[in-house]
Amino acid sequence: MSEIKQDQDQFIVKPTLIQYGHHVLIKLPSSGLKVAHVTEGGSINLGKFGTFDLSGIVGFPFGQTFEVLDERKVRAVKSTTYGNVDTLEPEDIPTADANADAAASDVVMDETSKENTPEPKTLGEKIDYLKRLDVKSSETNRDLLDIGAGSQALTMEEIETLKKTSKGANIGEAIIDKLIKSHANFNKKTIHSQEKYLKRKQQKFLRRFTVEYLGSSQLLQYYLEKEASKVLDMSEETLGLLLSLGNIQSGGRYLVIDETSGVLIAALLERMRGSGEIVLLHENEHPNISALDHSNFPIEIRQKMIDSLNLLQFFEPESERVEFQEYSTEELKELKSNKRTHYHRRKQNAIDTNKAIDNAIKGDFDALIVATTLYTPTLMKRLIESVGGSRPIIIYSQFKEPLIETQLDFMNDLRILTPALHESKARPYQTIPGRLHPMMTMRGGGGYLLSALRVYPVEEGVTAVGRGLKKKQKFEK
Amino acid sequence: MPFIGYKTLIEEGDIVLAFIGRDAIKPIRINSEETLNTRYGVFPHKSMIGKRYGSQITSMKGYGFIHLLQPTPELWTLSLPHRTQIVYTPDSSYITQRLGITNGSRVIEAGTGSASFSHSLARTVHPHGQLFTYEFHESRFLEAKKEFEEHDIDVVINHRDVCKNGFEITNYDGGYLNADSIFLDLPAPWEAIPHLPKVINKNEKVGICCFSPCIEQVDKTVKALIEHGWTSIEMVEIQGRRWEARQSMKRDVDDAILRLKDVKRRKLEGIERKRKFYADNGDNNSKETENDSNDVREKRKLDEKEQTKVEKTEFNPFGRGMRVLEGDPKYNWLKVSKNEAELKSHTSYLTFAFKEAVANL
Ligand SMILES: C[S@@+](CC[C@H](N)C(=O)[O-])C[C@H]1O[C@@H](n2cnc3c(N)ncnc32)[C@H](O)[C@@H]1O
Repeated sequence: MSEIKQDQDQFIVKPTLIQYGHHVLIKLPSSGLKVAHVTEGGSINLGKFGTFDLSGIVGFPFGQTFEVLDERKVRAVKSTTYGNVDTLEPEDIPTADANADAAASDVVMDETSKENTPEPKTLGEKIDYLKRLDVKSSETNRDLLDIGAGSQALTMEEIETLKKTSKGANIGEAIIDKLIKSHANFNKKTIHSQEKYLKRKQQKFLRRFTVEYLGSSQLLQYYLEKEASKVLDMSEETLGLLLSLGNIQSGGRYLVIDETSGVLIAALLERMRGSGEIVLLHENEHPNISALDHSNFPIEIRQKMIDSLNLLQFFEPESERVEFQEYSTEELKELKSNKRTHYHRRKQNAIDTNKAIDNAIKGDFDALIVATTLYTPTLMKRLIESVGGSRPIIIYSQFKEPLIETQLDFMNDLRILTPALHESKARPYQTIPGRLHPMMTMRGGGGYLLSALRVYPVEEGVTAVGRGLKKKQKFEK
Repeated sequence: MPFIGYKTLIEEGDIVLAFIGRDAIKPIRINSEETLNTRYGVFPHKSMIGKRYGSQITSMKGYGFIHLLQPTPELWTLSLPHRTQIVYTPDSSYITQRLGITNGSRVIEAGTGSASFSHSLARTVHPHGQLFTYEFHESRFLEAKKEFEEHDIDVVINHRDVCKNGFEITNYDGGYLNADSIFLDLPAPWEAIPHLPKVINKNEKVGICCFSPCIEQVDKTVKALIEHGWTSIEMVEIQGRRWEARQSMKRDVDDAILRLKDVKRRKLEGIERKRKFYADNGDNNSKETENDSNDVREKRKLDEKEQTKVEKTEFNPFGRGMRVLEGDPKYNWLKVSKNEAELKSHTSYLTFAFKEAVANL
C-alpha cells in the first residue's frame, strides 16, 4: 500500500471531557480500579465509599478527582496525589525547599515555630499543622512507636461515633481534627512517616476517586489487576514495545491473533484512530474481544476496521466461502417476518465472511501481530507467507520457551531476517525528593516478544545467510 | 513517505536501508547512476529499482548478498548517525505508551539531539497530530532539520534554548501549540519545566516524561514538577533485555557411564590381546627374545601392532573429537536462551508526571 487513505472524517478524536456514552476508568484511593459506562441516569457503587450518580462527573475533564458527598452527589476536588507514595492536599505538598530541608537535615521544629503557626482552618491547613507539630524527624525512626492499635489515639468506637455524628465528606476531616487533638505518637514520627500515616488516614476516610480516560494502558492495567490471565499477563512496557517494533500506525493493514481479550486490538485501534484495517484470526466461532466493549471505539468503526476469520476460514478459504442463495423480492415478501430477519442476518454474515476472506487472501500485511497460546513454531510456518516484504512479525508470549523454539526456526528460515527475543521491565521507584529508591516490590512476569522482519530470499538456493555470506566473501577476495 | 506509511516497490529517489549485517545497516537514496560498495561486494542501485522491499539481492559478482529494507523509525534508531546519546526503542516505546501518544497527539520534545525519538514520535502522531522539537546546538539543529526534510517528516523544529527562552512559537497557528505530551531529554529539565504552562493544553490532562541519567537530576526534576503543580509523579527505570536462542546438547549421565564402560572394556580387551600375543609370539621387551635377529624383532613388532589392535568404538554419544554443529539432528538438544553478551543495564531514569486540566466549573 503506497498511499495511506486519509479520510478526514474517519479520525476518532481522543476525548478530553467525560461525556455520556464513554467508558471510563475509576481509580479509588486504595488504588482499586473500576470501569464504568457513563449513562444517563446511571450510577455506580464504590463499595464502602458509597454510591453516586454518574451525571455528577459528566462535563469534567478526564483526570478529575471527585469526592462522594451525601445523596449520591459528588464534588470536584483538586488532585491529592503528587507522587506514587504520598497522598496529600495540594496545599500540603511540601515546597521543594521545605522538602529538601527535611531530607537533608533532621529538622526539629521548636516551640516558637509552633506558636507562629496560625490556627488551622481548612482541611489542608489542618494536615499541614499535623505535620508541623513538634516534629522530631529522624531518619532512623528511633523514637517511633508502633502505629498500630496501641498508639492510635482514636478507638474504632470513637471513629464510628464520629462517622455517625459528622456527615459525608466531613467524616475524614472530623477524624483528622480528633487526631490533631489526641494523637499521642504523632510528633515522634519522621516527616516522611507522618506523611505516609496521613495518607493512610486520608485513604481510609476521604471518599475520593479519580476518573481517567480508558485508553489501552488503563484497560490493560484494569485487567492486570482483576485477572491477569485474561491478558496473558502482558505488561504495559511489553505492549508499548510491541506497538513500536510492529511499526503500528494510522493507515496500516495488520494480521492479528489476540488472546488478550481484545486489549491488544484496542491498543492497535488507539494508535490508528479510525484509519486502517485489521484481519483478526481466532480459533472459535467468534473472537473473544470482550475488552473492546469497554473501549471508546464506536461499533461502526470496529466493524469497518476489523475483519474476523477463524483459522479454518483463513487457511482454507476456498472451501469456507459462504454460498448464499438470494431470494427474489417476491420470495422475500412471502416470508414471515422472523424468517425474513433470519434471512437478512444470514445474508449479512455471508457478505462479511466472504469479504473478510477476499481481504485476507490478498496477503501482504503490513505487520503480523500475535499474542497467543497456540504453539507458535507451527503457527508461524503457516503465517509467514501472508506478511509483506520488510514488514515486522511480532509474537508475544507469557513464556520464553515457545519463543525460543520459534526463534531457532526463524534462524534457519530464509524468509526471516533479524529474529530477536526481547524482554522489557519497568522498575518503579519511590519518588520523593531526597528519598528516591527502587520500590521494595514490583510486578513480576510481563511476558516476552519475538520480533523479526519478513524478507524475500534470492531464488537460487542461498544457504544459511550469515555463514553463506562469510564463505562467499572469502571467495570474492 | 519513506519513514511513515508503507511502500511495496523500490523506486528511483527512495530511501532504502541496505541491511548488510545486524550492526551494518546503511541508508541509501536510490539513484540509478550510483552503486553501493560494501564488504560483501558491489551493488548497483539500478539492480534495486523495481524490486520489492524486503528483497535479498546479489552483488555484481554474484557472491555477496544484502537485503533491501524500507526504513522505519525503529530501524533508523539502529542505523542513524549519532550526534548525541540517543533514546533506544525499549525506552521510547514505553514513554509513548505510558503518555498515551497516538495518531492525533501533540507532542513537545527537547532536545532533538540525533532525532532518534523524533522519528518514532512523528510516525506515531501522524497524520492528525504534530511533533514540536527544539535543539539549541546549531549544527545539530541544522542536521536534524535537513534529515526531517529528506525523510519527508512533518516536524516543527526550532533552534532554541528552551531553558532560557521557553517553547512558544509565535508564527505557529496563533502561537497555540496545545501540547498534550512533553518529553524532555536535556541536562536540566527543571529549568525548562517553568516554561511549559504557556504551551500545554489547559483543557485536558497533559503528561510529561523527563529523561535523565543521574538520580540527582531526577531529584531536582521532581521538586520542580511538584512546585509547578504536576501530580502523579513517578520515576521508573526500563530494563530492556535481549535473549539469544541456543541449543545445548542433552548429555545423559547414562550415556556417560556407558561410554566409560566402553572405554574400560576396550582397554581390558587390549591388555588381554597383548597378553595372548606375548604368550604365543614372545615379547620384544623380555630377556628371552634378546638374541632374536633384527628381522624377527621387527616382524614381531609389526605383528603385535596388527594383532592386538582394538576396533575403534562406534559408541560416541556426545560426538567427542568431532566437529558438532549446534542442533545437529544426530544428537539430542535442549532449547535454551542466554542474555546477550553485553547488557545495557542503565540508560536513563524516566520521570513521569501529569497535569490536570483546569475544569470549566
Ligand atoms: C541526549 S540529546 C537528545 C537525544 C534525542 N532524544 C534522541 O533520541 O536522539 C540532548 C540534546 O538536547 C540539547 N539541549 C540541551 N539543552 C538544551 C536546551 N536548553 N535547549 C534546547 N536543546 C538543548 C543538546 O544539544 C542535545 O542535542
